Amino acid sequence: MEIHLNTYGSFIKKKDNMFEVSLEDKRVKLSPEKVSSIIISNAVNISSDAIQLAMDYNIDIVFLDKYGDPYARVWYPKLGSTTMIRRRQLEMLSEQLGLSFVKERITIKIMNQYRFAKRLISKRTSMADDYTEKLEKIRELAITIYNCEGTLEQLSGSLMGWEGGASKTYYGILANLIPDDFRFQGRSTRPAKDAFNAFLNYGYGILYSKVERALIIAGLDPYLGLLHKDNYNKKSFVFDFIETYRFFCDEPVFYIFSRRKMQPEFIESIHNGVILTTDGKKFFAPLLIEHFDEIIRYHNKNRKRIDQIQTDAHAFANFLIGKRDSYMDAALHTKLSNFLSSDDSDIEDEGD
Amino acid sequence: MLTWVLYDIQKNKIRNKVAKFCEKSGIYRVQYSVFLGDLNKTKRKELRCQIEEIIEPNYDRVYIFPMCRDDFDQCELLGQAFDKNLITDEIKALIM
Repeated sequence: MEIHLNTYGSFIKKKDNMFEVSLEDKRVKLSPEKVSSIIISNAVNISSDAIQLAMDYNIDIVFLDKYGDPYARVWYPKLGSTTMIRRRQLEMLSEQLGLSFVKERITIKIMNQYRFAKRLISKRTSMADDYTEKLEKIRELAITIYNCEGTLEQLSGSLMGWEGGASKTYYGILANLIPDDFRFQGRSTRPAKDAFNAFLNYGYGILYSKVERALIIAGLDPYLGLLHKDNYNKKSFVFDFIETYRFFCDEPVFYIFSRRKMQPEFIESIHNGVILTTDGKKFFAPLLIEHFDEIIRYHNKNRKRIDQIQTDAHAFANFLIGKRDSYMDAALHTKLSNFLSSDDSDIEDEGD
Repeated sequence: MLTWVLYDIQKNKIRNKVAKFCEKSGIYRVQYSVFLGDLNKTKRKELRCQIEEIIEPNYDRVYIFPMCRDDFDQCELLGQAFDKNLITDEIKALIM
């Protein structure tokens, strides 16, 4: 179970070796055995004993700012695994492997966007023709990225450009498929310019914290990045790694709007944009976690959607130190090569 | 596996301790002297050892009772019953 604290004045402390979360008169005691993470996104009191208890049970504590971006986390000051992994990761920066990893991550991300958009469009048969061209554009960009050659340094500008182009088209499609009153113009962050982006930003913030955690546990360095820069303009491996999982958030956010569950009280206006209110977060967090925890098939096992991230991080770390030949799931590899060779007949099977 | 813990314990001090062990292991109080929740085998054994150590075998009674999901789904709950979703860990987030 995750603990999400969004209300001003809530308190979390340790009592009888358990967490006690309190808000005014309401008190809930929770066994640390049942808590997986604590996500704090407002002025909340937390005692140092509670932090220690969380560390004892490997529970991470993440602090989100008002835009939904994580700005701090509490984690024990140890490496998740051997330093060998970090050294190899550093070497990777200057090798061809770095480029092929980046290319692959971006291509998979675009594939996921493409598949999601295609699935949505296939259910709206009357519109299918209008979008074929746009979808094809997304795929072409993916193929360009996958096949480009050079060094990471030479290509980083172009890669970001192609990736941005695909994202723009993708979000453009999503914007057109939701009811008129919620239409939005592309992505916006810090702050979001519209409700759709406000939900996305919050979802991506939570996802970011999960990816960062998975990388640390696998022994990878979250800051030895290859291509993407974070808010502080530093290269961040989390941002390289997170790309392929972003669509975990896109789906629940999209359905909030397409199924008209959006309520005016979920957002509030601030200078230059909008942010989620406490009500909005209370509504969104359970939807998101439910989607994250859905059981899917991956690496030939049935597991939670969100556990893919940890599996992939371990696979990648093991690949770096030579314990695995490949870090990619075989099924994913097939999917990717089908996508790149224009054979996407299996998309229809997935349902939603 | 879903596990019921039921007890009759004479001394207050011991009873309170047993209740805390149960709470801490991650199962929930569903009646004054009944706890229920999901415990894996290791946790169940751990709880058993903790309780066994402090109770007085000549007076006290404690039953630790695992139950399969099919049977649990057939349970009839009347009156001020507990939240089935909480017990089976289907509530994924506590949001405050």
